[in-house]
Amino acid sequence: MIIERQINVINKLGLHARAAAKLVKMSSGFNSTIMLHNGDKSVDAKSIMGVLMLAAAQGAELRLVTDGEDAEQAANRIAALFNDCFDEGE
Amino acid sequence: MFALHGNGVGAGIAIGTARIIHRPGEEIPRYNVEPQQIDTETARLARAISAASKKLKIIKTRIADDGAGEVKAILEAHLLMLQDPMLSQEPGSIIRQQGINAEAALQQYADNLEKVFNAIDDPYLSSKSADVAQVIHRIQGELLDEHGDLNSQPEGRFDGEIIVANDLTPADTVELKKHRISAFITNLGGPISHTAILARSMKIPAIVGLHGSIRYLRTGDLLVIDGKRGVVLVNPDAAVLETYKKRREKIVRSTQAMDFLHGAAARTLDGVLISLNSNIELPEEIAESVNHNAAGVGLYRTEFLYMNRSQLPDEEEQYRIYRRVLQQTARPVTIRTVDLGADKQVDGGRAHGKMITNPALGLRAIRLCLHDLSLFKPHLRAIYRASVHGKTRLMIPMISNIDELDQLFSLLEEVQQELTAQGYNYDPDLPVGGMIEVPAAAIAADLFAEKLDFLSIGTNDLIQYTLAIDRIDDEVNYLYEPLHPSILRLIKITLEAGQAANIPVSMCGEMAGDMQYTRVLLGMGLRDFSMDPAALLQVKRQVRLTDISKIKAKVNQLLAAADQKIVQQLVNEINS
Repeated sequence: MIIERQINVINKLGLHARAAAKLVKMSSGFNSTIMLHNGDKSVDAKSIMGVLMLAAAQGAELRLVTDGEDAEQAANRIAALFNDCFDEGE
Repeated sequence: MFALHGNGVGAGIAIGTARIIHRPGEEIPRYNVEPQQIDTETARLARAISAASKKLKIIKTRIADDGAGEVKAILEAHLLMLQDPMLSQEPGSIIRQQGINAEAALQQYADNLEKVFNAIDDPYLSSKSADVAQVIHRIQGELLDEHGDLNSQPEGRFDGEIIVANDLTPADTVELKKHRISAFITNLGGPISHTAILARSMKIPAIVGLHGSIRYLRTGDLLVIDGKRGVVLVNPDAAVLETYKKRREKIVRSTQAMDFLHGAAARTLDGVLISLNSNIELPEEIAESVNHNAAGVGLYRTEFLYMNRSQLPDEEEQYRIYRRVLQQTARPVTIRTVDLGADKQVDGGRAHGKMITNPALGLRAIRLCLHDLSLFKPHLRAIYRASVHGKTRLMIPMISNIDELDQLFSLLEEVQQELTAQGYNYDPDLPVGGMIEVPAAAIAADLFAEKLDFLSIGTNDLIQYTLAIDRIDDEVNYLYEPLHPSILRLIKITLEAGQAANIPVSMCGEMAGDMQYTRVLLGMGLRDFSMDPAALLQVKRQVRLTDISKIKAKVNQLLAAADQKIVQQLVNEINS
C-alpha cells in the first residue's frame, strides 16, 4: 500500500536536530519505507543525516510517501508529529 | 623505503615505530592511501564512528533525567547521526574515489555539508550545521586520537616508540619524560632549541628541522633515526635495517667498553696531564659531569634559565640554581654570563620589537648585557653570591673590545661593593675570564690576556665569524672547516698569548669534543678542553693514546700547510 500526503512544516525551528531525531525515531518504528520529498530532494525519513539534509525550514511544503503494510498508520502518525510541532510548543 | 633529512641533535641510532602526535588546532592531516590500504582506511573510519558513538552513549547515561531533557534530546540526535549509515557512506566513498586518508575525507564531507546548510535561507535551520559539525568533530577526535595525544597518557604508553610531532612545547617535553621513547623527530626546531636540549638530557637521538616532511609519515611506520647524520629512514628494507641494527649494537658495545676509562687519568703517553672538563646547560647535568669524572665544568651555559618564559628570572631564583650546581661538585665550575641575542632570541630576553638583519653581528652576549643592566646586574649578583658555595669562575662571552672589559670591571666593582654593604658573602678573588670567539679578540688576544684571569676559545662562533659562514645555513655549511689555516692560526695566537701572560687557555667549542682534532690541539699546546659530557670518554681515550712529543713536528707542518688536501692528509697521519 502506498500513501502520499502533503505536509507543511509549521514549527518555528523547522526540521532541526531534535525534531529530526523524533521523526527518525518514529519512522524507524514502522516496517514501511518512508520517504520525504522537498522540491527535487528526496530522503529516507529513517536517516537523520538525510532528514537534516532536506533543509526543511518553517513554511516548507513536503511530500510524504509511505510504502508498506503499515503505510497508512505511519503517514497518520508522522503528519500528526509535524502538526503538533514535534511536541515542542511552537 | 625513503629518507628524510633534518638536523641531528642527539648522537646515536634508534629504531622504532612512529607515533604521530597531533594537537588540537593543527591542520587536519591529508595524505594519499595506497590502493591496497583503502579497506583499512574505511575500516578506520568505521571504528572511529563506533568509538565516538560508544563514548557519547556513556556521556548520555551520566546525564540525570531531571532538568536536562533538552541536552539529552540533543545527545539523542547526535547519537542517531553517529548510527546513521549515511554518515559513513559519503566519506567512505571519498576515501575510495580520491585515495585519501579518513581524516581528510571526513573533513571534505564536513565542508560539503556546511555548504549545503549555509545555502538554506533560514537562520534556525542553517544553525543546525553546528550539530553536524560537533558530531564530525567527535569522529575526527577519535581518528586523531589513534595517533596519540601526549597529555594524560598513562606512564610508559609510548615506550620504545619514536615520537613524530610538528613541534614539541616545553610542556610536552615534561610529559615525554614519562615514556622511555627511543627518539623523536620534529618539523620545527634548531640545534639549540629546547627540543635539542631535551634530546641531550634524555640521551636519545633526535632530528629537528624536518621542514614539514613529517607529513609523509604514519603512526606505525618503522623508522630508523641516525642522529649523527640527521637522517630518518622510513620503512627500510631488511638489509638496511640489519646494517643499522648492527651499527646500533656496535655503539652500545663501544660505550660499555669505555666504562673503564671513567676512573682513568687523562694523561698522555709522554706523561702530560690534560684537563678534560664538561659543558653543561641544565642544572641537572652537573650530575652527569660528576659521573663522567670531568675535571670540572668548563662551560656552564646560563641561557636555559631565560628560555621558554615570559619573565626574567630574578636574582634569588638564579642564586638558588647556581648554588645547587656548585654544591654538587668540589671541582671548579665556570659560569658563563648569559649569551642571549643572535640565534638565542628567547622570551625572557628583551624583545626589541624591530627586525634585526644580522643578529649574529648585533646586540648579543656581553653587548646585550652591558646595554641592559636590569638584566645583567641581578645575574652578576647571583653568580657572586653563589661563588661561596664552590670553586667558581666567571666567564664573559663574545668579548671584542677592551672598552667592554673596562665597563665590565667597573660594574663588577660596583656589584661587589653593593653586596658587601648589604652583608652578602662572595668570593672577592672570583676569577674573571673571557671567551675568544670573535676574530678581533683572537688577533689581539695578548691585550685581553693582560686584563683577564683566563681565556676560553669558543670555536663554534670563532669559525663562523672568521670564515663568514652561517653554520645553520644549509647552503654554506659545507664551508665550515675547523682546520682552515686561519682558524688554526687564531687558536695558536690565543694559546701563545695565554702563555706569555701566564694565564690558562681552554677550549670549549665543539672542536674540543671532537676526537679527530684532539691530537692536533694537543700538538698545538692546548692542555685544557671542555666538551659535552658524552664526548669525555672518547677524548680521554685519544689523550691516553697520544705521545705529544712524537706528533709535534707533524702539527707544525700542518700549521704551515696551505692546501686543504695536505691538511687532511697530515691530520690522518697525526691520528693514525
